[in-house]
Amino acid sequence: MSDVTIQPLTIFAERLRRAEVFSDLGDADLVAIAEFCREENHREDDVILVEDEPAHTLYIVERGKLALEKKIQLGRHSTPRNATIGYVGPGKIAGFSTLAWPQTYSTSVICVEPSRLIAIDGLALRAYLDAHPRAGLLVMNHLATLISDRYRQSINTLTYFLSIVSHELRSPLAAIENYLQTLDGGYAGDLTEKQKRMIQRSILRVADLRILIGDVVDLARMRPEQIQSDFEWFDPGEVSAESLEDTRLSAAEKEIHIKIELPARFEPIVGARRRMRQVITNLINNAMKFAPTGSQVVFGMRYDPEALVIEVIDEGPGIPIDDLPHIFTDFFRASNVADTVGLGLGLSIAKKIVDAHEGDILVKNLTDENHNVTGTAFTVIIPRDLKTPEMRRREWA
Amino acid sequence: MSEQQPYILVVDDDPDILDGILMILESQPYRLGFARDGKQCMESVAKEVPNLLILDLLMPRMDGWGVIREMRSDPRYSQVPIMVLTTVIEDASRRRYELETGMAMEVQDYLQKPAKPLDLLKRVEKLLTKVHV
Repeated sequence: MSDVTIQPLTIFAERLRRAEVFSDLGDADLVAIAEFCREENHREDDVILVEDEPAHTLYIVERGKLALEKKIQLGRHSTPRNATIGYVGPGKIAGFSTLAWPQTYSTSVICVEPSRLIAIDGLALRAYLDAHPRAGLLVMNHLATLISDRYRQSINTLTYFLSIVSHELRSPLAAIENYLQTLDGGYAGDLTEKQKRMIQRSILRVADLRILIGDVVDLARMRPEQIQSDFEWFDPGEVSAESLEDTRLSAAEKEIHIKIELPARFEPIVGARRRMRQVITNLINNAMKFAPTGSQVVFGMRYDPEALVIEVIDEGPGIPIDDLPHIFTDFFRASNVADTVGLGLGLSIAKKIVDAHEGDILVKNLTDENHNVTGTAFTVIIPRDLKTPEMRRREWA
Repeated sequence: MSEQQPYILVVDDDPDILDGILMILESQPYRLGFARDGKQCMESVAKEVPNLLILDLLMPRMDGWGVIREMRSDPRYSQVPIMVLTTVIEDASRRRYELETGMAMEVQDYLQKPAKPLDLLKRVEKLLTKVHV
């Protein structure tokens, strides 16, 4: 519950100035806005604003802390839960939706500590800012920064949420897979041929599920600006070595020889290091998935004047012409690979990463002189003039 | 079991993972111990320093990063080889350690769960041999 206190105008004007959003306004504006302000004192757990309700009050926090909460419902039938997407402390505001269409609160706001707030009548504030465009512009500038900060905050929350979900889902699967591998290796006693075959199939299916969970979570995080925020200088040689290590076991299992064609000397480039490793690993894994047992996969890298070019070539059955335009689509699998395990996210993830690098990913079937398909070649082109966030910031400044 | 046989301490809060890993390692002439969290691990290490520590990262009470930090800052244990066995991606995990300690995460091997038995045994053998040399 709140206590409302009326204070002399000039004191309110001074207090308003301490709020970031009003910090650039002149005295006359502050005194005018102070006319439609009041002080509210709230206890812990008081609900200040409710998500989706009409927005008519803007709050400035003077003391204490508010939590911004959003309803989250997974699927239509689950119980909605509240997720805290951020906190607002002294000098900051809650309820900016008051000033923006459609004027409904975008989050609920709850007191997490006893708090002293200045409540500003939203309608009166809007009318004042309409009539005083210069003050309006100064306030809106601060609001734009605030909204972009909140947006970034919610993305971080989502990423964190996804990493927790992914870990929670993967842990029991890892335990199951671990037991199956132990059984399959004969470490818990001998198995009949039939039991061994069933366990080996189970291992494949569980591994599929584990990879799918990882990929789905990854795909959800795969927005270009998120990938670009990880841009840094890195050595493509190191990343190639790591990808080859990632794929070493699967290659050995399928007796595939990986022929490596790398430049004698590596120049560092800018990109998202971990994501580039994922592109190369996904392409090599994809090649091995469709390549016949005992065949060769070529992995090459070279520098063109303006780009780093990565190539992965397999001796598989090729990709049907009709399927070529779709192979980078989420969950797509070519029509001639029905028996191969896999879920069809590897290539679409690779494409999203390459796109975020403003690069290209190309695919073509290779043929011999009689026009028989002899394999597939994937080429990735990554520009060499990308910039790290720091370089972009400096340029912009 | 003889005292000469290498002593391996496996640390994981998931009893099923622990059970599976121990079953695989039992096929070799190792002496084995286990702990269910970082605190138990440090108590166990204080009683007997292992020749190899196989360590999960996400655990209650004290996590694996905490164990690495303690092991690396204590001269009695700083030379014990550590193999991380986890569901956490290596890059993210190293970044977190560096942010928290300002130092590079010094572990001798990093495996993503679930490990394949033969691969696990090969890597364990390699780490133990290195130490003996």
